[in-house]
Amino acid sequence: MISVSTTRRAHRGMVREWRLHALSIFSLAVAFVCLGSALLVVTNLHAVQERWAHAGRASVYLKEGATQDDVDALRAALARVPGVNAVRYVSSGEARVEFGQRELDANSVLAALPVEAFPASIELDVAPDMPDADLTDMVGKMKALPSVDDVETYQSWTERLARLVRGGVAASALLAVVVLAAVLAVVGSTMRLALQRRRTEVEVLKLVGATDGFVKKPFVIEGSLQGALGAAAAIALLALLFFLVRGRLDGELASLIGIEPAFLPWEVALGMIGLGAVLGATAALASLRKMVAI
Amino acid sequence: MPRTEPAERFRPVLRAGNARFSREAAQRPILVFEDVFKSYRQGTPVLRGMNLVIERGEFVFVTGPSGSGKSTILRLLYRGETVDDGRILFLGRDVARLRADAVPFLRRNLGIVFQDFKLVPSWSAFENVAVALEVLGLPQRLIRARVGEALERVGLAGRGEDVAGVLSGGEQQRVAIARAIVGEPALILADEPTGNLDPQLAIDILGLFEEINENGTTVLFATHDRTLLEVRPRRVVVLDEGKAIDVPHGVATEEYENRLPL
Repeated sequence: MISVSTTRRAHRGMVREWRLHALSIFSLAVAFVCLGSALLVVTNLHAVQERWAHAGRASVYLKEGATQDDVDALRAALARVPGVNAVRYVSSGEARVEFGQRELDANSVLAALPVEAFPASIELDVAPDMPDADLTDMVGKMKALPSVDDVETYQSWTERLARLVRGGVAASALLAVVVLAAVLAVVGSTMRLALQRRRTEVEVLKLVGATDGFVKKPFVIEGSLQGALGAAAAIALLALLFFLVRGRLDGELASLIGIEPAFLPWEVALGMIGLGAVLGATAALASLRKMVAI
Repeated sequence: MPRTEPAERFRPVLRAGNARFSREAAQRPILVFEDVFKSYRQGTPVLRGMNLVIERGEFVFVTGPSGSGKSTILRLLYRGETVDDGRILFLGRDVARLRADAVPFLRRNLGIVFQDFKLVPSWSAFENVAVALEVLGLPQRLIRARVGEALERVGLAGRGEDVAGVLSGGEQQRVAIARAIVGEPALILADEPTGNLDPQLAIDILGLFEEINENGTTVLFATHDRTLLEVRPRRVVVLDEGKAIDVPHGVATEEYENRLPL
């Protein structure tokens, strides 16, 4: 239990040594910005992966020699597959027109592409909750058909994104270790310096019969607050930069990655602050272990 | 709510082995040194089989030249150091054999005053005194009342908000004495408490310790200032060659005259 006296001594210590604590919080904020940035990237990569994993679309590209009968038979067969909501045939000419409407308005070189450059396809509207295994099975069967050239399901993209997310998570874990080391070093040094400056206070406390716990508690609270404030400052700084950048690139970013970029979820932000507090308290305890033995 | 720590954990006389009051134990001397040896360097012992008995309510000057061991016996008492051999019985309990986690409870039964005051200069006088009660986990209301009384007893009524670092030497020592007495300890240890003060202030401070003693608290007053020994007749213990030699009631007989500090 933390007594009034303990919190008052911690508050008094932080107020009287505010420059030292401010420097420590700034150093910790720099370390936490690195971790927060990595988490921000991972969060948004994951959202992009989720978005494209459930894109709900697949394109079946047909060979040049596919007849109308082949197309009709294929459309009828696909319409009966569970999870396929709609089937639409797009001829080469229609594909050329659609592509032109989307991309070629101001580009004369691409606009000059021949119609043959755009294969005919059957566009499928796939249910977002269709299991990956079923989709893979359907793709395998369609690829085996003589009139089908290729099937595009965006799975390769989502797999690449998944690999990126896994890489991001690994980088975040590595950064978390770096942050841990930074917190231990920064809070440890601050505590040693604070203890040195407040050596008389510690000596007096021990002489009037204070237990080690009584002596350590305010320092542990200070370490914990430093860690939490460092993490909170990092989150605030990241949020400021994030919304500044997003405000300028909002439309472009959304059309490029298919989602609205999001800031760290509040659970992650709170988790970072909690992590800062725990690491700060641990670092303070570790650095005080031998130093209060007076 | 402030935490209430077991402030009475170190009460060996009244709680010797069990929680019952022991009349016999309560009548024992408050402090006994038995064949105490202590050296900081091999071959040069400071204390060599020192024996000393101090009864409850006594006021005892401990004197001797520099390096004779005056501060050492006080440090041994509050477990700033441990004996090499022998026993120091405080309230019937061997101080040297206390576990490390019992030492804070030993110190709560002692009031310690140092030559250099050992105050936190950035704290107020009130805070410097209150800390001795805060470690006990007493409620703030009680702390305020008792600190006020203690400051009044040392002549600093109304000065509680003054920052300790800007007080005069004499006032700082009064704050240190208030801190020593505020917990109503069984024994006050004073280690050259007048060493940094001018002669008149030294006598004033001595008077304060005497008042404390008149209220029943045992006082062990280490000094090398002969003038203080001559102010009033008190029991004087001279430390010489690692042993304690008792000079009853401060009467410096011819036999002990040359042992007293200059």
